[in-house]
Amino acid sequence: MKLKTKQAWTGFLFALPALIGVFVFYLIPFIISIYNGFTIQDRFVGFTNFAALIKSNTFWLAMKNTAIFSIIAIPLAVIIPLLISLFLATFDKHTSFFSSLFLSPMIVPIASVVYVWQIFFADYGVVNNILKNFGIDPVSFFKGPWSMALVIIIFVWKNCAYNIILFSAGLRKIPKEVKEPARLDGANRFQVLRKITLPLLRPTTFFVILLTIISSFKIFREVYLLYGQYPDEHLYMIQHFMNNNFYNLNYPRLSAASILLSIVIIVIMLVFFRFERRSSL
Amino acid sequence: MKKRVIISIKYVVLALIALLFLLPIVYMLANSLMPSDEITKAYTNSPGHYADFHLIPDNFSLEQYYQAFLRRPEFLNLFWNSVIITVPIVIIQTLVSIFAAFAFTKLKFPFRDALFFIFIILLIMPSWVTMVPNYMMIQRLGLLDTIWALILPSAFTAFGVCLLRQYMRYVPDETIEAARIDGASTLKILFRIVLPQVKGGIAALMILTFIDNWNMVEQVVIYISDKDKYPLSVALSNYAATDTGVIFACGVIFMIPPLLLYLYHSKEFKNSKL
Repeated sequence: MKLKTKQAWTGFLFALPALIGVFVFYLIPFIISIYNGFTIQDRFVGFTNFAALIKSNTFWLAMKNTAIFSIIAIPLAVIIPLLISLFLATFDKHTSFFSSLFLSPMIVPIASVVYVWQIFFADYGVVNNILKNFGIDPVSFFKGPWSMALVIIIFVWKNCAYNIILFSAGLRKIPKEVKEPARLDGANRFQVLRKITLPLLRPTTFFVILLTIISSFKIFREVYLLYGQYPDEHLYMIQHFMNNNFYNLNYPRLSAASILLSIVIIVIMLVFFRFERRSSL
Repeated sequence: MKKRVIISIKYVVLALIALLFLLPIVYMLANSLMPSDEITKAYTNSPGHYADFHLIPDNFSLEQYYQAFLRRPEFLNLFWNSVIITVPIVIIQTLVSIFAAFAFTKLKFPFRDALFFIFIILLIMPSWVTMVPNYMMIQRLGLLDTIWALILPSAFTAFGVCLLRQYMRYVPDETIEAARIDGASTLKILFRIVLPQVKGGIAALMILTFIDNWNMVEQVVIYISDKDKYPLSVALSNYAATDTGVIFACGVIFMIPPLLLYLYHSKEFKNSKL
């Protein structure tokens, strides 16, 4: 009994610095912002702030663009690394030299390569030069709908790296003894992949998807460095919406948006976790 | 014979994929070795004139590096801003996470799982949600426009605790129990038994935290109004508009710290199982 209390105290003490940080900078102010979300200058206004938010066109533009980006970019940033790591796994020799090379987009800071992207994708840039030589009309990557395409390309380029490492580690953990009997029974490569490899890779895939979702939330960095604070309307995302309200010091709206968005994220994650649990049964 | 052909084709494909990943970086490195006027000439955009793919320098020169290091004290200042923001975050995050992850994985205390649930929720929250509470607290503490506004919230994210907990779960409980029966203190168990087994996790945490914060943008543009305090992750993009001639060398210099950290830990990082 005494040992248990002692362990409880030690455990609590060890967790304390992290808990203090989370409570002070995240949890307590979030609770205060719930209060702010329902008030204007300390007067209770019910759902007024939320109604104003939902009526705002810029909010829905931001939601729409963020959704489009996520729905296209996240699957690409998971499937392409999966294919590359399956390809890497077919080599007999160790390919760790190549997987180190694949990591470099992750290590190189975004700001370092931004200028290269600008040179490549500018209206009179290298890519359009090549397109022109093939007789294709130039594409404007800095205005209009194609700007989203450029951001997705950069996101996939950057996030493939770590996902390849994670998938390769997951593939290495699948023992050869599981696959070989199936091969001997006459299953072809594709059947082995579909019936054995991919199901066994499911925990890794789940983790990769989660990490990719989390890093998709940070796409504002690329957008800001490439397009500045006020990008084309096709790239106006939630972080831009929030920033504009920070600049206007519109706290009721910021708080309402923060509450609403946290609920959206929690719902998406619950669906995601539920789906994962069902599919792994 | 046929097998050989297939293997060679596979290596060609592999090399092409690697090239695709490396091209922007190689391009930056190659262009950093050109003199400034060559850069300005090659990439000055004028309508009707397309930029060429200009990989090999006409004239090899270290002028850009000379300019960045010796002629632009403001560049080194901005670089230093990045260092004094990122290094404290990595140190605080790593230390705090080691203790907390150990407590949440291997020690039992009341409300443990409920408290850890807060960390999981926080892990998935994007900056557009968390920056509102962060901003409020930073403002009340009077830290706006100081580097502490950037350091403190980022040092206490949930990422480290969640990541290290994943690694510590694989440390067998029996070894901990055995050490405890031998009379080892909890602190000793953590440092002598658990930490050596989660080296890969700590390497991954340090590399990922460093890279994440070395790239910090969204907090900077909200919490900091004094542009002299900007880290290079934001300030470097201003160079593209005004100082085209040195931009590539600045990019290369900015890349070196995360690269060194990665090379130092690369073996543990790549072999870290999760």
